[in-house]
Amino acid sequence: MIAQKTKLLLLGFLLCSATSMAQEKLYFGQTEIGFLYGRGAEQWDGNHERRIDISFMTFNGVHITKSQVVGFTIGLDQYDDISIIPFALGWRGFLGKESKPKIFGGFDIGGGSAILEKKESNEWSKSWYEGGLMYSPSVGISFPALKGNSSFSFSLAYKRQNITYFQGSLLQSGSPTIASDLLPPGFSSMNENNYIYRSFVARVGLMF
Amino acid sequence: MKSLYSAFSLLFLLSVLLFSSCVDEVTNTYTYQTMVPIYLEMSDVRARIISTEPAQPLDNPGKIYIYEDYLFINEPTKGIHILNNADPSNPINLSFIPIAGNVDMAVNGKILYADNYVDLLAFDLSNINDIKLVKRVEDVFKHMYRHETGEIITFRDTVITTDSPTWERGDMFLMNSSKSYSANYSAAAQSYGTGGSMARFTLANSHLYAVDETTMRVFDVENPAEPTFVKPIDLGWGIETIFPFEDKLFIGSNIGMHIYDASTPSSPTRMAVYEHVQACDPVVVNSDYAFVTLRDGTSCWNGANQLQVIDIKDLYQPTLVKSYPMLNPHGLGLAGDFLYLTEGNHGLKSFNVSDVMNIDQNQLEFLTSEKSVDLIPGPNSLIVIGPDGVCQFDYSNPSKLKKLSCIQVKNPVKFY
Repeated sequence: MIAQKTKLLLLGFLLCSATSMAQEKLYFGQTEIGFLYGRGAEQWDGNHERRIDISFMTFNGVHITKSQVVGFTIGLDQYDDISIIPFALGWRGFLGKESKPKIFGGFDIGGGSAILEKKESNEWSKSWYEGGLMYSPSVGISFPALKGNSSFSFSLAYKRQNITYFQGSLLQSGSPTIASDLLPPGFSSMNENNYIYRSFVARVGLMF
Repeated sequence: MKSLYSAFSLLFLLSVLLFSSCVDEVTNTYTYQTMVPIYLEMSDVRARIISTEPAQPLDNPGKIYIYEDYLFINEPTKGIHILNNADPSNPINLSFIPIAGNVDMAVNGKILYADNYVDLLAFDLSNINDIKLVKRVEDVFKHMYRHETGEIITFRDTVITTDSPTWERGDMFLMNSSKSYSANYSAAAQSYGTGGSMARFTLANSHLYAVDETTMRVFDVENPAEPTFVKPIDLGWGIETIFPFEDKLFIGSNIGMHIYDASTPSSPTRMAVYEHVQACDPVVVNSDYAFVTLRDGTSCWNGANQLQVIDIKDLYQPTLVKSYPMLNPHGLGLAGDFLYLTEGNHGLKSFNVSDVMNIDQNQLEFLTSEKSVDLIPGPNSLIVIGPDGVCQFDYSNPSKLKKLSCIQVKNPVKFY
């Protein structure tokens, strides 16, 4: 929650500082859709399963210089059957002349939310997902549209996303509570699966 | 030019990341409560000097024993707390006797008996401030021996984290905390514990009877300071409690109630077994009826939640008189015509049981805020053991309990 507030404040600050600069266009947006490609963790037989899932993201930011933008990224990534909403602070930098195709690079860092995943709980156990650290460097090319300020974009990125799956058994009748930092209170056991998804991302979209 | 350079370095970085590590990583940790075996040499255990130590806070109280104005409260597997209870509204924690492996005790005259793994100890209580070990009867609870080498096996509760992959962990669902050691001996389970290999003590007719899960061991304590082991008596499985009445022994097991004739104290003989559904079931008895509670719980899956009244006028033919539905009855206590019954998390109930056919209509009080698992009707107070502590009530007016005091425990037991 605090992190969210800090981000909003930062964005507000950037907006204010940016308006003072004489820019032709302050706001920058980038919305893209594409695929996440990855190779699953090594299985017992030494093989990896291929993972191809959909990825959507939208970046909203403001120019801090003529060729640099900072802002906030939000999206939707699918990892097998887990849906994650990534949210991050982002930077975009551009190379190239106005009204010509441009090369751009970007970097997003933040986290992922597993809010779309259902928490399951019954008399004996509870299970849930938690999102973790996400970062994603990217490069791409933008082609100006025939009319207006928008341009088509094509980008390639690397995305690292941490997700943890918790499965806990609840303490049952007559069970003692053993004082320990290893287990959260009320649980007799906790199974923690920590996934680091490393994906290659290819996306197309619009910049405006 | 500088920004171009940085863009290319970014590209380079990307390609490194892309081609080196686009493989997911899964790590797994499993953290669980369990018990780990500890092997002890009895010779080491016997070499330890046992002497009274300063008072310690109650951690996880087990059995409670009333001796004169004192309360002896067992700390399962650790020892015995001694409290001065001359004023039940203000019990004073006096001292602690560290006895490894201790789960039960009994007092005969000025002698305190306590188990110390496989041995039975006798302590002289004539000076309560300086309790002395006067006798050790060796190798009586032999079932704890792992083999005939003098090595015993015991278990300690612990929390373990492993990070081996799931498929290497076929046994993970077996390691659950309901098997935990102190779960079996804590207050919540003590008088009807979920089995185990420890003794439960009772004294009758100059004999000490100690039951474990399968066996009753008889000690002659005619000379209190010199307990002598007489013989073991095989009882069958799942023995939980022992309740002496007149010269009978009522032994609660998880399949029923055994009645033993102890008129020849050194050699009790079985009179009858009253069988019912498998449940956890403490027993109390008066001259005509036995009161048994049945509840479901961790180890008593088949259980019903009931108070059963059993006619024992003919001890060879116990018959069920009536059963009353309860919420989650645990331990119970009888004081004259008044029955006090603990309902676990639901509270504490009192009944007038002079009319056994209408106990449900003669409920006197239901104190829903008093979570309780066991109780002892003592001479000065009703001692109630709950998850949060040991409380005492004035029950001179049986229909209106008055709370006198509560001893808080450090490590409350969670139960249902």
